[in-house]
Amino acid sequence: MIHIALQKKLTAVQGDILLDINIDIDQGDLITIYGDSGAGKTSILKMMAGLLQADKGCIICNRNTWLDTEKGICLKPQQRKIGFVFQDYALFPNMTVKENLFYALEKRQSKKIIDELIDIIELGDLQDRKPQKLSGGQKQRVALARALVRKPEILMLDEPLSALDNKMRAKLQDYILKVHKQYNLTTLLISHEISEVIKMSDIVCIIENGKIVKQGSPIGIFTTKQVSGKFQFSGEIVHIEKEDVIYIVTILIGTNFVKTIAEATEIQTMSIGDKVIVASKAFNPLIQKVN
Amino acid sequence: MNSFKGKIADIKTNGSLSLITIQVESVLFTTIVIETPDTASYLKQGNSVTIIFKETEVIISKGIDQPSISIQNKTVGEILDIKKGALLSTLTIDTTIGKIIAVVTSDSIDQLQLYVGEKITTMIKATEIMLSK
Repeated sequence: MIHIALQKKLTAVQGDILLDINIDIDQGDLITIYGDSGAGKTSILKMMAGLLQADKGCIICNRNTWLDTEKGICLKPQQRKIGFVFQDYALFPNMTVKENLFYALEKRQSKKIIDELIDIIELGDLQDRKPQKLSGGQKQRVALARALVRKPEILMLDEPLSALDNKMRAKLQDYILKVHKQYNLTTLLISHEISEVIKMSDIVCIIENGKIVKQGSPIGIFTTKQVSGKFQFSGEIVHIEKEDVIYIVTILIGTNFVKTIAEATEIQTMSIGDKVIVASKAFNPLIQKVN
Repeated sequence: MNSFKGKIADIKTNGSLSLITIQVESVLFTTIVIETPDTASYLKQGNSVTIIFKETEVIISKGIDQPSISIQNKTVGEILDIKKGALLSTLTIDTTIGKIIAVVTSDSIDQLQLYVGEKITTMIKATEIMLSK
């Protein structure tokens, strides 16, 4: 169990806000913090990591107190068992992939973990390359591996996938889920993408102006409020085409395109770029095995 | 999509499925959902819900005599408008519960010889109706 209670006055573009949160996270959960920029998401991770001072607060991670402002306890960043991945990869450009990983190794720590991570995150073919010879997705895989070298209790990901294209993003999501499960990590993710939140997280916290306004399972928070249909996805309208007396609407869901029919009166309320929920009843879709 | 406000009149649950009866005006609609009053708090007798179904799922039968058919949801009405396309056509029907829009093949309109002002029965399968709070 991880208990996080933090208060801090933040200066944002739209004026001062008071960040005031109180969350309990179960060990092994993947929890997403979702909200507009300037809502205080990154500040929460930085305070967790000890990179930003809280005005008042308490962080207890698996019975170890990392922060208790009333008792004057505040562990240094290196004493907190965390792995951090940022949007910009922050790799050492003059070192190879393997050297980047070795650099994160603690004194007297077994080197076995490096080979293990290279294996899990499939960096074998890349291990002797320098970062400049890597694609964005590959760099982020290295950054993910490096964040795990010290076997953290909490993995923190600050919009790690926002600079990647959809295909790469889906692949990285799978790697993150894989290590999250394999190392029984408690993972905190910041994300702007509803489809990503739904795919990745056990719990989502929606943060507005420094406060958590909603918390729960992502499906419950983002979807079932609207319709009872169990075959339900969120996506974005990319194309609308008139066909006879009806319209064919193409919707991008993750990396897949689906087409659905809409009627003239519905189309008046829809335009390209709109975020939509596509729903059908669980009784309709066919399931067929692929060979 | 067609949507109508109603009140939950009855709930039958078995395992994780529930058969919900919703009263819309004077007509009772039935839908089956993978929810129970335990998993969805809005499933409570007397609660207001909206029933939703797609235009392409509306079935048309000539006349207002109740046909003997497995479709549970039926409401009678009068055709207000027919927009005919090459393959598909849109029907606007004034029914007991309000205007229902149906999209059917143009061939079926020809075969049934449907016309504006005709009295017909609209039908929707219980597996095609979704609920919204």
